Amino acid sequence: MGRYIVRRLLWVVVLVFAVVTLTFVIFSVLPSADPARLRAGRSPNQQLVKDIRHRFKLDKPIYVQYGKYIGDLVTNLDFGHSYQNDTDVLDEILKRLPATISLAIGGAIVWLIMGISVGIVSAIYRRSVLDRVAMGLSLVAISAPVFWLGLVALYVFADDIGKIPILPGAGSYVPLTDDPVEWFTSLILPWCVLAAAFAAIYARLLRGNLIETMSEDYIRTARAKGLSERKVILKHGLRSAITPVVSALGLDLGLLLAGNAILTETVFNIPGIGRLSYNAIINSDLPTIEGVVLFGALFIVVLNLIVDIAYAFIDPRVRYT
Amino acid sequence: MRRSALRIPMAVCAGGLAALVIAACGGGGGGGGGQAKTAAPEGAQKGGTLTVLSNADVDYIDCGAAYYQFSYQVEYAMCRPLYSYKPETRGLPDPDVASGPAQVSDDGKTVTVKMKSGIKFGPPVNREVTSKDVKYAIERGFNKSVANGYASAYFGDVQGAEDAAKKADGSPIDGLVTPDDHTIVFKLTKPTGTAVAEALGLPLSTPVPPEYAKPLDAKTPSEYGNHLVATGPYMIPNDKSGKLTGYEPMKNITLVRNPNWDAKTDYRPAYLDKIVVKEGVDPDVGSRQIVDGQNLVNGDFTPPPAILKQVATTKKDQLLLIPSGGGRFMSFNFKVKPFDDINVRKAVIAGMDRNALRLTRGGPVIGPIMQHQIPPEIPGFEEAGGNNPPPEADWLKNPAGDKTVMAKYFKAAGMSSGKYEGSDKILVVGDDSGVGGRAAEVAASQLEDMGFKLNFRQVPHSTMYTKFCNVPKAQVSFCPNTGWFKDFFDAQTLLDPTFNGSNILQENNSNWPQMDDPTVNKLLDQGKVTVDRAKRAQMFAEADKRITDLAPNVPWVWDKQPNIASKNVAAVGSSFNATIDLNFTSIKK
Repeated sequence: MGRYIVRRLLWVVVLVFAVVTLTFVIFSVLPSADPARLRAGRSPNQQLVKDIRHRFKLDKPIYVQYGKYIGDLVTNLDFGHSYQNDTDVLDEILKRLPATISLAIGGAIVWLIMGISVGIVSAIYRRSVLDRVAMGLSLVAISAPVFWLGLVALYVFADDIGKIPILPGAGSYVPLTDDPVEWFTSLILPWCVLAAAFAAIYARLLRGNLIETMSEDYIRTARAKGLSERKVILKHGLRSAITPVVSALGLDLGLLLAGNAILTETVFNIPGIGRLSYNAIINSDLPTIEGVVLFGALFIVVLNLIVDIAYAFIDPRVRYT
Repeated sequence: MRRSALRIPMAVCAGGLAALVIAACGGGGGGGGGQAKTAAPEGAQKGGTLTVLSNADVDYIDCGAAYYQFSYQVEYAMCRPLYSYKPETRGLPDPDVASGPAQVSDDGKTVTVKMKSGIKFGPPVNREVTSKDVKYAIERGFNKSVANGYASAYFGDVQGAEDAAKKADGSPIDGLVTPDDHTIVFKLTKPTGTAVAEALGLPLSTPVPPEYAKPLDAKTPSEYGNHLVATGPYMIPNDKSGKLTGYEPMKNITLVRNPNWDAKTDYRPAYLDKIVVKEGVDPDVGSRQIVDGQNLVNGDFTPPPAILKQVATTKKDQLLLIPSGGGRFMSFNFKVKPFDDINVRKAVIAGMDRNALRLTRGGPVIGPIMQHQIPPEIPGFEEAGGNNPPPEADWLKNPAGDKTVMAKYFKAAGMSSGKYEGSDKILVVGDDSGVGGRAAEVAASQLEDMGFKLNFRQVPHSTMYTKFCNVPKAQVSFCPNTGWFKDFFDAQTLLDPTFNGSNILQENNSNWPQMDDPTVNKLLDQGKVTVDRAKRAQMFAEADKRITDLAPNVPWVWDKQPNIASKNVAAVGSSFNATIDLNFTSIKK
């Protein structure tokens, strides 16, 4: 197991390096806005554009820019300086990370609770009215775009613009350290909106796996041994059926922590990494984009490693060497 | 001035970045909506907190670097330039730090400004403002660490400014003379005093204490913005060293009362106790929050069409429509076939349904159809034809498009079918999203109906400008998302950067047609050095007529900017900035 983890960690380095390089190439080669010209504003003189380009080192060859970026990253853990906000990228990401973690972890808890419960119920009572209703609703949840669902949730439940004003709406987010109660209530709507599609996917995934698992021989054996149906389902059936869900969770959580909750963060005005990356892309702020991608890659790879290790504990058949 | 974006220089605004951003540049207008309220109600009450909802951040928090409409909205509450604009002012700026009008010498080469006594810097500087602070403020505009976007354009003729721009290190400028602590004299190399006097209403002339700011300006980029010292009624809270504690980029800005501000020296009533700017707000959600909520106004976005329609019909009191002092147009490139042929250009303008283009932004409510280059409220507008196109311009007569006139000009270009007959694809580059994207799609569709074969590329707004339309070597034939807005109430700011041949640049070019017409150049150059304002307006109107006659663009709207406020907010609009003026707005009793 130890060797496996070390090997995976080495792959993390290779993968992160590849991702950073690819991002750099994409933004350097494909047509995107020129940060110096954007920064210079309307009708600046040429000297000003030149000065800004020099300040950002954009007047250097691309390979020199790349070399410097990688050098600073490796030697000083320097993620660079934002073209747009004149701030250190790492500082900016770290400042926004708590909001994104709050959203992603809370959302994951909601979708796991919803997805697993609905998946189990649907599998046990398959083809019942309950199953059909649950699976029908899950299709709706999967099909509904997050930004639309977010707007609908706000127009129904938000305490400022909602028809049934029972929950804090957009812009109400406060950090956990400021006020835990307000933090919690301000995130209820975003968690539910973010979790809707994931919960639906997980429910369908779990239902399919559980139905298949419940027809396995060892389940029949467990029942023949006289175990209660509850034990059969939870201890033997679910344990095996849930491994793909755990695998998906690692990837999904990593993606969300990498800033993929961008629409939820936008609609609910949560100052997280998603909004940061959106603004960076709009403004061709390459250092910030690189920083967010790097962070995202790290999250995804590390969470996948954790998931792989968790496999071994969930499913005794899985062993790493 | 302004826009949305990148921080959006004004031009960007013109086209519309994402819907969110674009909205910021938006227009509003004529029918159905609210009035441009430019005065506070009788007995407006003091106190209260106002929240400004915004999608993005200011371009720079440093008033000496800001060049964006939303930045002006926030920063004119903290920074007092020599001159500024009362909400109702639609002409020369009003004395602010200055004690009276700027004195322009008869030869136009000297501008003298006398300053008030008793104006103090906020904490931690806490001393009285002097003319040396204004001198330093303008000098630092040429410093590359500050990178002001208009210092060279309007103060480039000050003696020594050219050298300062070359050195770009904030060196002293000889032509800025301070004979005493309350007088500053601008000595110019050319008779451009009229424009200099008007440009003193821009935030660059806000006093900056050199002893405090120089070490901060020595860093690149300047750190002064994060240590901004207020002169206006409000300030961003700071610590003892002066570092701002009330500003988090892309998140929020908090303004509180400046304890050193003396109301007796200022025309601003400054009713509010506190102003909070919340950033990152989705325009749709934010607009609804403002309309249904309390103590809220919009910042950099305008309400989406659906909400605008609702407010314009049922909640007129919450809507302010303010002429933006600019227009939106679709630019031809004279250097690329087939638009090197004036008859082809006139045919396209004649055939284009400009009403359909205007509908993409909300229809007549966003403003009248643009008919020539100088917009309403700018001197020269009436002389150039007012709301009508020049009498001989039959290609502009019918905003709904006139196929007969279109055919006439295509035939004059040698196309006997009355439609475009060329076989080469023309490059059209427009926005890929939001209202700008819709306008580009409508234009492309109409061009195809006229017979054009298009290589139609839709890209992000910033890319559209900085990689395509503002770069002559990109050889874009047609840019559907261009536009331009005033820096102040003078046609020079609208016509010179966009049509003077001397302003064709290899990058950041705003003369999109690459027009280099000797008559136009001469009229614009004469206009710039004309001191008398009436003659100046006439000169620019003549230039406008000549430009319009050359058919450089499809002009489609002189827009008004819709602003919204909560029901309990007595919002006052700024005619200069086309946004809600935070210095005059109050919470209703």
